[in-house]
Amino acid sequence: MKLVDLAPTVPWLSLIWLVPLVTGTLVAFLPDTRRQLIRTLGTLAAAVSCVLALLVTLGYDPGGPRYQFIEQLPWLPGLGASYLLGVDGISLAMLMLNGVVLVAAALLSWNITEHESSYWALLLLLGAGAYAVFVSLDLLVLLVCYELTLLPKVLLIGGWGTTRREYAATKLALFMMAGSALLIAGAIALYFGSAMRTFDLRLLSAHALFPVEFQARWFLPLFLGFGILAGIVPFHGWAPTGHVAAPTAASMMLAGVMMKLGAYGCLRVAIGVLPAGAAAWLAPLAVIMALGAVLGAALAMVQRDIKFMVAYSSIGHMALALLGFVSGSRNGMIGGVLQLFAHGVLTALLFGVVGRMLYDRTHTRQMAELGGLRQVLPFAALLFTLGGLSSMGIPGFAGFWAEFGVLLGTWERFPALAMVAAISVPLTGGYTLLAISRVFFGPLPDALAGLPRLTWQERVAGAWLAAILLAVGLAPGLLTDLVAGGVAPIADALARVAPVVPLR
Amino acid sequence: MMFQLSDVPRLLPELMLAVLALLVLGSDVLERWADDPTARRERGRAAAQLTSIGLGLIWLVALVQGGLAFTIAPASTAGPLDALLSLGRNLQAGGAARDALLGAFATDGITMMARLVLIGAALVVALLAGDHLPDAHPAEFFTLLLLATLGMCTMAAAQELIIAFVALECASIALYVMAGYSARQPVATEAGMKYVLFGVVSSAVLLYGMSLAYGVTASIGGADGGPPRVNTSFAAIAEAVRVADATQRGAIMLAVTLMIAGAAYKLALVPFHSWAPDVYQGASPTVAAFLAAASKTAGVFLLMRILTAAFPGVAGAAGSAGFTGWMALLALLAGLTLVLGNLAALPQDVTRRLLAYSSISQAGFVALALVPLGGAAPLRDSATVALLYYLVVALLASLAAFGALAALQSAGVADRLEDLAGLRQRNPLLATVLTIAIASLAGLPPLAGFTAKFAVFVGAWEAGAAWLVVVALAMTVVALAYYLRMLRPIWMQPAGERPAVSVAPVTAVTLALAALALIALGVLPGPLWHLAQVAVLAR
Repeated sequence: MKLVDLAPTVPWLSLIWLVPLVTGTLVAFLPDTRRQLIRTLGTLAAAVSCVLALLVTLGYDPGGPRYQFIEQLPWLPGLGASYLLGVDGISLAMLMLNGVVLVAAALLSWNITEHESSYWALLLLLGAGAYAVFVSLDLLVLLVCYELTLLPKVLLIGGWGTTRREYAATKLALFMMAGSALLIAGAIALYFGSAMRTFDLRLLSAHALFPVEFQARWFLPLFLGFGILAGIVPFHGWAPTGHVAAPTAASMMLAGVMMKLGAYGCLRVAIGVLPAGAAAWLAPLAVIMALGAVLGAALAMVQRDIKFMVAYSSIGHMALALLGFVSGSRNGMIGGVLQLFAHGVLTALLFGVVGRMLYDRTHTRQMAELGGLRQVLPFAALLFTLGGLSSMGIPGFAGFWAEFGVLLGTWERFPALAMVAAISVPLTGGYTLLAISRVFFGPLPDALAGLPRLTWQERVAGAWLAAILLAVGLAPGLLTDLVAGGVAPIADALARVAPVVPLR
Repeated sequence: MMFQLSDVPRLLPELMLAVLALLVLGSDVLERWADDPTARRERGRAAAQLTSIGLGLIWLVALVQGGLAFTIAPASTAGPLDALLSLGRNLQAGGAARDALLGAFATDGITMMARLVLIGAALVVALLAGDHLPDAHPAEFFTLLLLATLGMCTMAAAQELIIAFVALECASIALYVMAGYSARQPVATEAGMKYVLFGVVSSAVLLYGMSLAYGVTASIGGADGGPPRVNTSFAAIAEAVRVADATQRGAIMLAVTLMIAGAAYKLALVPFHSWAPDVYQGASPTVAAFLAAASKTAGVFLLMRILTAAFPGVAGAAGSAGFTGWMALLALLAGLTLVLGNLAALPQDVTRRLLAYSSISQAGFVALALVPLGGAAPLRDSATVALLYYLVVALLASLAAFGALAALQSAGVADRLEDLAGLRQRNPLLATVLTIAIASLAGLPPLAGFTAKFAVFVGAWEAGAAWLVVVALAMTVVALAYYLRMLRPIWMQPAGERPAVSVAPVTAVTLALAALALIALGVLPGPLWHLAQVAVLAR
């Protein structure tokens, strides 16, 4: 239901992404010596944009038209592209996710002491780009904003990262660029395929514009183009190295938001515009996703480096979300979007704990060298456990509703695959519990005895993310109603061309 | 087609360039009162300033006269600004016109646009060169710069074979001297020599193509069945091509092939590219910037004029509809250039060689953008708009990238990739400018390079060359790999013992403005697109 009335004359959606963008540009011109000012400004911008995203969410009328808060300005009329913004339930969930994670990432960036102004400028640019993708309803603008995030990511990893950062940054850039190349080809094909010469996603997805063969041919490039950033197996190679090398805030944004950009594109553009194309590819993609979920969890199980463990677990969780999408059922898609939200928050929490609270203090991420940290960092132990429980899909946390929806939806169309994918659930439980017991319980090595206490920024950021996980877990209705409204048209269009055969 | 006195203003920017060139040379003669280094620097600065101010003025005249961005309303009441406005009105009265001067020199929207682009590029190079003066004879250097610009502007306006060739040589001969200007450095001499040899051969090939075209058309009867019209104008050639029979078409195709090959040398398209890396590395970086940006752009204008005005009849197709004519030839060259240029850039270790190969691959995109010009009118017009947009953006990016390298060189930074290490710390401005220029060359949004590439792809796709677009897209991934090789030392490696880099103020402002323009054109592509549209539709 609509809780807040927002003045229609204010460009709310533009504000959301302009606030971090403008602040980032300002910050870039501040000298590095004004450290405190830069940090405060950056965090404030993140918080303001998050509040704006919340306001828009509360002001959205679920009973109203599908897309609301429409803003439209000519951008490149010669090519039929316009600056067209608007949100539906899916975008709102993603906007909130980006706001939540950006605030936490900003808080956990207060320990950066090298080239602060460029660091904060890039971080805010990354956040702004993600916001802009989630509100774009014009395919060309969406692609521009999507690729806008590439350079900040690469420079953040390469400039402030740790383990093999140049290699990781280059690898991520090349994977993303390959995805973009597919997307540009796909976008041009859609442009000429529709005969309307437009990039307006509302028009492109409103009618069955494209012949079935066209859809079947172009669905896969679009899905894969976005899917590479979502970390789908076997194109996930960039993810573990990138997540591990990135500075903490960047890995939070990378796993928490960037991978979601890819998944969002898969749902909004690939499936949303080409439902008949999706119908032709549902089964093979679902097999890949189900196996990916298991593979991700299995790979996480064998990691010795705890950050690599979290990174591989992300691949498994993303595969589950995409499995929900390609299950082609309404429940699966709702579960998938919820999974994007839940995993975004929980992986940000886990990366925050592992990268910032542990690694910056212990300077090792090898689980064999860690242990008993519960005694020195009790709050970090609590946070990691909460995040881990959500990752395992324990009821009461956001992750539960997500995995439940995905498996339910998959069961409707591919019962066997639902059973395969379900194997990842006990595996996730296994590696999470193992990590908790190895890192936080047991005897404390002498080397780790006098670790400094958590700073207030770390506590606030951790508590903020954990609170969101619990809130959505205890009251999933906060999100599910919105998401269900956004997913319904996409799921219905898909169901028309590929009806779900009821189980006997 | 009489030449009237009132036609003189239509050539005003070119005339002003010629006058300015003589003025720079003459004022330097009067200043030769001493030959010690201080005096020589003084003279150099004076020449640079005179050139920059003059070019700025000519650019403004071209802007007002072109009437692309704005037209001044007819006289109303005498206000305080009326004297100024009436000056502008008079300029615009001699502005864009449909018929070419004597059928040889077009003053249409495209000429207006070309003047803005080329004179603007010369202005940027003059500003940069003011901080990186040549060792000797500075005034002659700027005179050559101006004469080359004059030649380039004329190339972009040529509607006739002889004018085209004379303009090309006017630009080329000036550039040969500029490329080898630092005669004391062996690499520069080598660069100059190489450029002359390759340039002369390419001119010969081009000239052979032109004479073939002339000869063939002279043996074809007029469209009305009348006698052959012996004429070198593009329009007459186009008419002859239209009525030519199959065997004559073979000879015409040979002429087109030779002319494209000659122009391909100037544009550094594979397989005619091998001079570019050595020349860009050996010549002074400001000259390299001028070569990579302005000279190439002028060559594209010339090729565009020849192909669309003289040979639309043998355009052919480059896709599903067949693979014939010059469209196929260009598509083939574009594909080769994109693949080989990008792959050859991968192992480069010297910044300027890397950028030279990147510039070769940019020429591949230009050739790709030229392909749809053979299509029907609506496609040809929209593709021309995209091409103009691409040219402006590529020019800005090349100027910014090579200009940043020029600043680095004059600060004493050597030209290997590892010498850039820690640049973000040693000079944040240069690091940012280089990053923006490279990101634009790589086609990353929100920089103008992305929009430009996208627009060009759309045109080629519509012309049926989707396969070429796919090749180009695949190559953008390869391209990113070597562009990242350049960004890596700047952002990801520590400076170590390397000293800070200082930049002269004029250079810093010029480069910052170029980088800002790349951002602005990427975020708001509409205005430039509109300008290009006006230029194309005004013809």
